Amino acid sequence: MEAKRRLTICLAGNANVGKSAIFNQLTGLNQTVGNWPGKTVERAEGTLHFKGYTIRIVDLPGTYSLSAYSKEEMVSRDYIAVEKPDVVVNIVDASALERNLYLTIQLLELNAPLVVALNQVDFAAKKGIKVDAERLSEMLGVPVVPTVATVGMGMQELLSKVVGVTEKAPRSMNVKYGREIEQGIKKLEATVKIGLPQLSSRYPPRWITTKLLERDEDVSKKAEGEKGLAILSEAAEIAEQIEDVHGEPSSVVITSERYSLASRLARSTVSITSPPRVDMDQRLSAITAHKILGYPILAGVLAGVFSIVFVAGGAMVSVLEELFDAVIVPGTESFLRGVLPPIWLRLVSGGFVWGVGAAVTIVLPYIVPFYILLAVLEDSGYLPRAAFLMDNLMHKIGLHGKAFIPLLLGYGCNVPACVGCRIMETDRERFLAGFVVTLVPCTARTVIILGLVGRYLGVPAALGLYLVDLCLIFLLGRIAFRVLPGEPMGLIMEMPPYRMPAAKSILKKTWARTKDFVYIAFPYIVGGSVLLQFLSVYGVMSVIADFMSPLTTSWLGLPSITGIPLIFGVLRKELTLVLLANLGGTFDFASILTPIQMVVFAVVAMIYVPCVATIAALSREFGVRRAITVAVLDSILAVFVGGLAYQLLSLVH
Amino acid sequence: MPEEPEISELLELVKTFTQEGSAARIDQIASRMGRSLKEMQRLADEATRSGLTSKTPVGIRLTDMGEASVRKHREEYIHQTHLHGGSLTGRVRRFLEGNVRDWHGHWRHHGFDDESLPRFYENLENLQGRIEDTVSLANLRESEKCTVVLALGGHRMVRRLAEMGLTPGTEVTIVRNAPLHGPIEIFVRGVSLALGRGIASRVLVKPLTSSRASTTV
Repeated sequence: MEAKRRLTICLAGNANVGKSAIFNQLTGLNQTVGNWPGKTVERAEGTLHFKGYTIRIVDLPGTYSLSAYSKEEMVSRDYIAVEKPDVVVNIVDASALERNLYLTIQLLELNAPLVVALNQVDFAAKKGIKVDAERLSEMLGVPVVPTVATVGMGMQELLSKVVGVTEKAPRSMNVKYGREIEQGIKKLEATVKIGLPQLSSRYPPRWITTKLLERDEDVSKKAEGEKGLAILSEAAEIAEQIEDVHGEPSSVVITSERYSLASRLARSTVSITSPPRVDMDQRLSAITAHKILGYPILAGVLAGVFSIVFVAGGAMVSVLEELFDAVIVPGTESFLRGVLPPIWLRLVSGGFVWGVGAAVTIVLPYIVPFYILLAVLEDSGYLPRAAFLMDNLMHKIGLHGKAFIPLLLGYGCNVPACVGCRIMETDRERFLAGFVVTLVPCTARTVIILGLVGRYLGVPAALGLYLVDLCLIFLLGRIAFRVLPGEPMGLIMEMPPYRMPAAKSILKKTWARTKDFVYIAFPYIVGGSVLLQFLSVYGVMSVIADFMSPLTTSWLGLPSITGIPLIFGVLRKELTLVLLANLGGTFDFASILTPIQMVVFAVVAMIYVPCVATIAALSREFGVRRAITVAVLDSILAVFVGGLAYQLLSLVH
Repeated sequence: MPEEPEISELLELVKTFTQEGSAARIDQIASRMGRSLKEMQRLADEATRSGLTSKTPVGIRLTDMGEASVRKHREEYIHQTHLHGGSLTGRVRRFLEGNVRDWHGHWRHHGFDDESLPRFYENLENLQGRIEDTVSLANLRESEKCTVVLALGGHRMVRRLAEMGLTPGTEVTIVRNAPLHGPIEIFVRGVSLALGRGIASRVLVKPLTSSRASTTV
């Protein structure tokens, strides 16, 4: 009895169909987000209680297909086939039924116990599209529940159908192909069952057979591992026969047939109630993706976002700094005085508490607002338009338009931006995007640029530095693109319609990205802060500064004390200025540095090794070797460009 | 052997008639090409003299040499028009390539692989109508409609496109065509898709709107 009352279900569906909205509706706050074991693919899980059942929900990544094309698709199909959840809830977009049913058909082929959530029926109705859910349910042979996830409509019924399916399995539709393919499947299926017993125990034999005929890389490899070479060559023979008849790659033939089935299903269930008309969405799209107007709009939107973040954030920073300087740090010190020996006290208050304070003064005023605004742009559908506009430029550095999104995230903090590179399709593109992201000046680096160059030399000079950085990103991206082996991928991206973003989803996205900062970067910032105090207590810093001085004084033309903040900026970039002030004994940087030195200092701080937290994020996403390579490259580049700037500026002045 | 465009056109039509399962009669070919019967007769005689076609009781059919000639014509056309395009760099590159002797090997320079190449040849074989009637998706203007014919490239790209709904025969509407080698936006199976210019230019389509004149070589 006890066992029966626990269910595991998973959510599967295309991107942009409201899958995460349904997940949020069902699980509320009972969620945990992590990675799939061994994969850099996000895995979200949650639990809920319904009619005495405890239901565990796994949110699969959004995919269009279940081929071996991407990590996300592999994760999804292996989860469904191997871990066999009790029910697979397939979320389909009612306004684009045909495309969505393509995945549904593949889920049926995997013999998944299916319930279909026909989502966004309200949005479809607005576009004049009505879907006959009952008819669709009859044809598919599985329950179909109309839902509107954003307002929670249909959730209860969805859950009772889920429970219903576990109690009495429905007879779902058999996916049938054309004559040649069916004959091929029939011929091979029995052999597969006998010849590949291990694989057949995990996946449905018919599915394996179909995949072999599609020349699926992963299934073929697994079959090869099971000594199924004879089966593979038989499959290849049949695939060739199919190709001879149809004159298309067998995978395209099978895809086409799935699509024509999807199209048949859609045609017999969808009715157009009103003629399509030019609506708000189309008008907005026409303007924002316009070949000329689109660019000034994009520039305006970005300028707006950055000025809101840095003007409002700057005000909040001074309040928070006041709070830490005047209340929390002295408070801790007076509380712990007498309890701890003086050196320990310095480590705790000057290291730990200060570190927490610095991290908070970066997160709250800058990163959170920035990511909220980006999430609004993303959910409303503007970011895909921006990616569309930027595609051309991105191709120059071997990436495509989608890479614009992690690049933007990088202006907040490089750590979530590295994680954000997962939206790129291939390993090569992910790494290329990750490398470029480390060159994007994050908020911490912006604080240095604004606090030094912006404050003493004026905003135009600071903007000039940004421009130099953009040129560097472009140049290095281009070099990296030439050096890294492999073919560049083109852009294939869905353009979701414009819609009103939902507050819940925005907050969740913001949290997911801030969480990357909190979990990955926060410990490094606090730890780095303690380490810095430790080093300064034991006087290690000046030794390092002396050692560095040939580089700092003669090549970069900086006073030798700047070696310390530059080196230790690796731990805490935003602290570089504070450290400089401490060492120089004043916050008036004009008395320590000449204007040229300010520029050089800012340039070096802007470009060199992102910071420990980013290195950690890089090595999590791309491996230790690549992370170290990027760090070393960035440092060399920083010293080179810094020195170049010094020589050039000295010539001019 | 230098080939007049008319002969290649004749050969492609003969092939299309055969694919459609009917005999290639000279008068029917003439009416489809919009030429006079006499002119067509002369062209057919010339083709037969060169060994590209042979006479049948009702009309003409392709010889093996004729089949090879059609394939070569289609390969050259696709290579010239779709893979090098009309841009200056495309022309320069084409010039630098010189005379391609080994077509099979040459396609690999254009992103084809072991799995997609044999299929590509089959696609060419089964193509109905003249190759000159196909254009690349990237060449269409906003709000034009077309059907997908085939995609040129590696098997991963071809499969990806198919999965996003761009299978042969699918109807596509151009929503937006960004300037200066930017991406294009299309509407397919109820969804808007953005395709990079590189990918779009490798999707061959047949325009449905008749306003468009066939491309000039």
